[in-house]
Amino acid sequence: MTNEKTEVWKIIHIPDKRPISPKEQPTVNAFASVIEPKLANALIRLLNQIAPLEDMRHVKRIQKRHDESGKIQLSVILCLASENDNQSSNMPQNVQELINSYQLSPFIIKVCKWAATSREEWEEQCKLWPTSYHPPTYNINGITGFGEEDSQSVFNFMKVAVDLAKSGGGLMVNAAVIVDPSVQQIIASGHDQIYSWHSRTGIENSNFKQPASFASNPKPSGANHLTVFPNNLHNGPARLYAGVSCLNPWHWCGQQLDMGSSCYLHPLQHAAIVAIESSAERDRRLFPGLLHTVKSSEVKHMQSSCAGSPAKRQKINLAYVEDGKELDADSEVTSVRPYLCTGYDIYLVWEPCTMCAMALVHQRIRRIFYAFPNPNAGALGSVHRLQGEKSLNHHYAVFRVVLPEEVLNVAEVVARADDDNDQIATAVS
Amino acid sequence: METQGQGEVCSPEILAYMELALEQAKHALDCLEVPVGCVMVESGKVIASGRNRTTETRNATRHAEMEAIDVLLEQWQKTGLSVSEVAEKFSKCTLYVTCEPCIMCAAALSILGIKEVYYGCANDKFGGCGSILSLHSSSNQPHDSGEVAQGKGFKCIGGVMASEAVSLLRCFYEQGNPNAPKPHRPVTLQPADH
Repeated sequence: MTNEKTEVWKIIHIPDKRPISPKEQPTVNAFASVIEPKLANALIRLLNQIAPLEDMRHVKRIQKRHDESGKIQLSVILCLASENDNQSSNMPQNVQELINSYQLSPFIIKVCKWAATSREEWEEQCKLWPTSYHPPTYNINGITGFGEEDSQSVFNFMKVAVDLAKSGGGLMVNAAVIVDPSVQQIIASGHDQIYSWHSRTGIENSNFKQPASFASNPKPSGANHLTVFPNNLHNGPARLYAGVSCLNPWHWCGQQLDMGSSCYLHPLQHAAIVAIESSAERDRRLFPGLLHTVKSSEVKHMQSSCAGSPAKRQKINLAYVEDGKELDADSEVTSVRPYLCTGYDIYLVWEPCTMCAMALVHQRIRRIFYAFPNPNAGALGSVHRLQGEKSLNHHYAVFRVVLPEEVLNVAEVVARADDDNDQIATAVS
Repeated sequence: METQGQGEVCSPEILAYMELALEQAKHALDCLEVPVGCVMVESGKVIASGRNRTTETRNATRHAEMEAIDVLLEQWQKTGLSVSEVAEKFSKCTLYVTCEPCIMCAAALSILGIKEVYYGCANDKFGGCGSILSLHSSSNQPHDSGEVAQGKGFKCIGGVMASEAVSLLRCFYEQGNPNAPKPHRPVTLQPADH
């Protein structure tokens, strides 16, 4: 694979299971037998009753082949067999009776355990035993692709996240933008604040000074500052990404920063965690009554009182919503309080670490879009794959958004020399 | 699986700290929160406590552990500790929590480099210390040859006063979580019915 220099945006679904080579799909054993074609209908009806292929609906019951003489030969699956046991005596009683009465001679075959997820997988499966393949149909998660309008919206929000991550000047941080896709509205955003923590309790109202690089209203100027993003992480100067919390979650304790008294250290204030708290804060502000339904007139009233309180206002990071839009955005709030982030999407510049990925499960995020894989600590496919952990009570869909050069504004310092070092690309593809 | 000492006889000291964690969990229950509580202990002294606060904050990440961690970070830095001193402090902390830390909290405890964790009941759905993932046992990933240590493991012992922790959870789920969306299926007892 070559270095991912691309001219276009691309959205790639990151599936629940680690992709495997089509030739290495797991199989299970089954008993099959050649049958008389004229018996096919009757036998299949019988077998579907006495030995249905539970959880293997993709496997066809019957295989049609031409033998050497060109004659059609039909085989059916009698029942599944266990891994090491090809003794037909261990078959269910009623299957054995059927074998006896039709004088069949069972043999062991292999069939693919899981339904094919691509045409390539399906073609490999059929070499063993025929299966059916249903190209996935469209669903709200966009797993099968995005329409032009949806794609454009995804790209726009990802660009907001990228700009937010660039806002620190030369120092890269991760950034997160939570979006309500139904109204195309930014709900909350945040970037890493490991070294600039606002405590919720004590220091909130003190004369808190942020480091200049994390000014609360950053202006992405683009032209002057060095903006290096890794299309290939291991190509870039590693220290530039050392500040990306999710890439180096354990890095904080190695820092020899002089914290001074102006800001607090919080090693867990990763971008996603910050954005989640910001969205929760918005929820508390817009829907102060916990369990009663807020009428929209009450919401309006409440907004105006909040708007008069700059201290509360500034906690919501709407830096990237243009000024005039800010109030409009709030007034679009529906009368029903959302449960956490149900239905919302999050855009992250880097694949989140395990802590952040699980936080997004808890907060019920619907879809995650990230731009760069995180081979160190990524939990959406790189190291762990939380979207595939069946025991969790919520599952989001995960997408990688490949960015074109011009958005990255990649500086020349990213060497193109070691194109062969493509760990990142292989981590997701 | 890597968790040691399930069901072992615990020292009176451990039980006493777990009692304090259970008190925190009861407090959470009184506030209509999922009843999980914890205390942080350094050199035999309780230096912070926390209880689940997800409902009140509308922030589902505000687990007991996260609350206690925030207390510590604020406290230490108000007294002027440096970054390395904060790291040093965490490496001497023991957490007593009524339910196995979830994947998020277990990852957070690893990031902070905590010394050890004693927990009550296992967390079959979300547990990050053996149930679903084993984040406490891994010295994570050799990907980066950088100077900073990757993923830190910590000692983890489960099953301390598990039945007390479970019965609190049972209380909560029997009365129903008034904040959860309408269930798709009838409410059943969860988690950790074992």
